[in-house]
Amino acid sequence: MEKITAHRVFTSRFGSPKQTAIVVLLLVLLAISALIASANGSFSLSFIDLVRGKSTALQSLVMLEIRLPRVVLSALVGASLGLSGAALQGLFRNPLADPGLIGVSAGAALGASIIIVISPAFLVDSFLGPFLLPLAGITGAASVIFLLYLLTTGFGYQGVTYMLLVGIAVNAIAGVAIGVLTYISSDAELRTLTFWTMGSFGGVTWTLLTPALLIIFSAILYMIPACRKLDLIQLGEVEASRLGVDVRKLKYRVIISAAAAVGASVALSGMIGFVGLVVPHLVRLLGGVNHNYLLPGSAVLGAALLVSADLLARLLIQPAELPIGLITSAIGSPFFLWLIFRLKKNDY
Amino acid sequence: MTIRATSVDVSIGKAQLLTDVSLDVIPGEVLALVGPNGAGKSTFLSALAGDLAPNEGQVFYDQRDISQLSIQERSFYRSVMSQSQPMVFDFSVRDIVEMGWLHRDHSFYNEYFSVAAQQIIEQCSITSLVDRRFNTLSGGEQKRVHFARALLQLWLPQGSNESRYLLLDEPLANLDIAHELNMLNVIKQTAASGIGVLIVLHDLNLAAKFADKIALFDQGKMVSLGTPKQVLTENSLSTVYGVTVTVAQTPLTISYY
Repeated sequence: MEKITAHRVFTSRFGSPKQTAIVVLLLVLLAISALIASANGSFSLSFIDLVRGKSTALQSLVMLEIRLPRVVLSALVGASLGLSGAALQGLFRNPLADPGLIGVSAGAALGASIIIVISPAFLVDSFLGPFLLPLAGITGAASVIFLLYLLTTGFGYQGVTYMLLVGIAVNAIAGVAIGVLTYISSDAELRTLTFWTMGSFGGVTWTLLTPALLIIFSAILYMIPACRKLDLIQLGEVEASRLGVDVRKLKYRVIISAAAAVGASVALSGMIGFVGLVVPHLVRLLGGVNHNYLLPGSAVLGAALLVSADLLARLLIQPAELPIGLITSAIGSPFFLWLIFRLKKNDY
Repeated sequence: MTIRATSVDVSIGKAQLLTDVSLDVIPGEVLALVGPNGAGKSTFLSALAGDLAPNEGQVFYDQRDISQLSIQERSFYRSVMSQSQPMVFDFSVRDIVEMGWLHRDHSFYNEYFSVAAQQIIEQCSITSLVDRRFNTLSGGEQKRVHFARALLQLWLPQGSNESRYLLLDEPLANLDIAHELNMLNVIKQTAASGIGVLIVLHDLNLAAKFADKIALFDQGKMVSLGTPKQVLTENSLSTVYGVTVTVAQTPLTISYY
């Protein structure tokens, strides 16, 4: 019994036995939704046939080159949004911090839009091409976080609403800039731009996906070891540093990884709202608030949620597709309202 | 083996908060800081803790200048309990206490985790609180939990001779008399086990009763330092607080009106 308790604090990756069980269940949920999502769509496929070599050439082509990258991308984007939401909420000690609400996603979208409209052709065609979009997204996301850092005097505790107000302003500024870009863009560029406002996982290829995949994976691996420090910073920055946490390093770590994960995600899939807000709260309601459970839990639930939402987006109005952002906002915005009422009652 | 402050000056903007304060916190001793509001007691505690760097003068932990110590090394030397911020997320009391457990290098250290936590939870008489949500506790109960966390941060198995210090900023605020007495007794026991204690207190009678040494602060300066009998005199207290103070000697009792 004693050993288990010590285990819980330092060595266990996913928190208490109950919390580990929840993470495992969420992983199972993710696996199931990924299987269903890759088998269903406007073109029905069977994994079993594919594995047994019984599928036609067209079927395996659709599976490997269209369906699979799509499922992988939605899972990765969900994981990075969920994880970044959880980590940013922890770092800011603000239950309403969400990459979308505080303007980080908009910054990433703006960065990506700029690259699409004004980048010179030789850059796009060079070996850097697939990296260009994620890098632009990351730069945009990082600039917004840096701006937030300046405006909140080093993320000092400025109250829950202050950061949201800054987010509204940043969202509006990015909206204006993207709007201006739509006027100077060509028809083809315009089509790619509009998809950023609602998000989509369509049309992704392995060439585009691989760099983002690398970036997002390394961001997740870099973020998760900060879990104990994110717990300690809940006591306040001064208290955390008295307990041996280098608060400045922690901030850099969370900011860099959140900017990388969100930036790369938005660059490939557009702005998908509310995932980073809703998922961490659901995971907290399921099993607790400690970050060694919350971070992996949010990543996995975020992935499962977006894989399922993308499946819905493909199935609901066949053969057309709903924008994925519509579905997540439909789920997320009432949740956001509920959260605000709850916070008001608790007098945050 | 001391925390030593030498001629510490602290100013923020134009306000001179501390002027030329030199003081030692010695293992095994309870040193109380007393003085009126705004005398610089909490500022001095922050300077000792390393939260703020003095403009002039230095702070040493065991002869090592703290500006040369890493944030983690400092956490091994001292724990601090002061005004705490509200918790945003719903941690349990046990979570909060366990936040005091550090990443020390000793391989055997983590084996003691639950023994140490249990021992301290019982010592601080918060056994009945550990499974509750921290945010549902009263102000006084939250203080006791943070106190337990500060003790856990310094916990080492018996026989460890690393010097450690406990810095407490008005730990007794919001406590009822029973828990006040309990906390002071735990502080005494902690000091007896070889830990140096610095405590900012407002109640002069408690300081007289529990402190080995008292430092009287006024307007950013240390006015006097010594045993309670030497420091708590009618003259100096009347001057510093600006009210009429009478002191009875046995037992040392301070009255004011």
